[in-house]
Amino acid sequence: MKPKKLTTLALYVTLSLAIYAAESALPPLVPIPGIKPGLSNIITLILLRHYSFRETALVLTARILLSTLLFGRLLSLFYSLAGGLFSLLAMFFTGRLLQQKAVFLTGAMGGLTHNLGQLLVAFFLTATPGVLSYLPFLVLSGILTGLFTGFTAAFADKYLLPHIGGDDFSSS
Amino acid sequence: MNTRKRPTTAAVIIGALLLLLFTASLLTLLFPQSRTDGFTADVFQNGELIESIPLDKVREPYTFTVTGEGGCTNEIEVRPGSIGIISADCPDRLCVHQGFISDSRLPVTCLPNRVVILLRGNLTDADSVTPDIITY
Repeated sequence: MKPKKLTTLALYVTLSLAIYAAESALPPLVPIPGIKPGLSNIITLILLRHYSFRETALVLTARILLSTLLFGRLLSLFYSLAGGLFSLLAMFFTGRLLQQKAVFLTGAMGGLTHNLGQLLVAFFLTATPGVLSYLPFLVLSGILTGLFTGFTAAFADKYLLPHIGGDDFSSS
Repeated sequence: MNTRKRPTTAAVIIGALLLLLFTASLLTLLFPQSRTDGFTADVFQNGELIESIPLDKVREPYTFTVTGEGGCTNEIEVRPGSIGIISADCPDRLCVHQGFISDSRLPVTCLPNRVVILLRGNLTDADSVTPDIITY
């Protein structure tokens, strides 16, 4: 990997970590475990549009490892990794299907699959079928927050990044 | 990018799929399960049933403590008709913020302690095979 690309990706890790930190400082919106805005997904969505799957996965994994180290506990690592990587895969394929258009749909898909991945981990960790009754809540919140991050990513991509992105964005 | 384009088939399918899931979830939440004669609270830890409390039989509120691996504790309060976790030593205390539950829609969950409290409706006569009225 070229030093310039490495630096850019590292900056994206910092950016999404900062977003994550700001988000975890907010009080929980609803008292249901697993429901949160998931704003760092904005960075993942932008990266998926401009970088390869491998590079996006690298940034996402680095962000999850660092955020667990800084703010979380070991248990939350499984949830974050499962949700994050599952939604990354889903967003990658959705983005391809949509030819990188209608990013809000990719975001909604990402939010949804993120929550489904986390619910699956909770299902296996607690071994209680009862946690599945969270499903409707998680589907609703995943789609709604995903739509929000999707729109935010689309706007940031269109209006913000051309001013700060440098030549990495001239190609797209 | 500024020109309005017709949505692609993929976009329509994905949008419809999401809308369907969204509506289905919303309907599930708006219309909870049929009426029952009160609820029984099942307290699970690590997937094992450790306590089963018929909430409609509770007359006086009382509390008990569940201790998990690693010394995490949850203090559970049982009231007539409802149950909730009132204190916990996990960092986020989401289970405490969830308050008391009195229907089967959402369990109270403490993920660090792997405790799940689930309400299960007691079967009423209307739910069993006996019909309400038989006409000839």
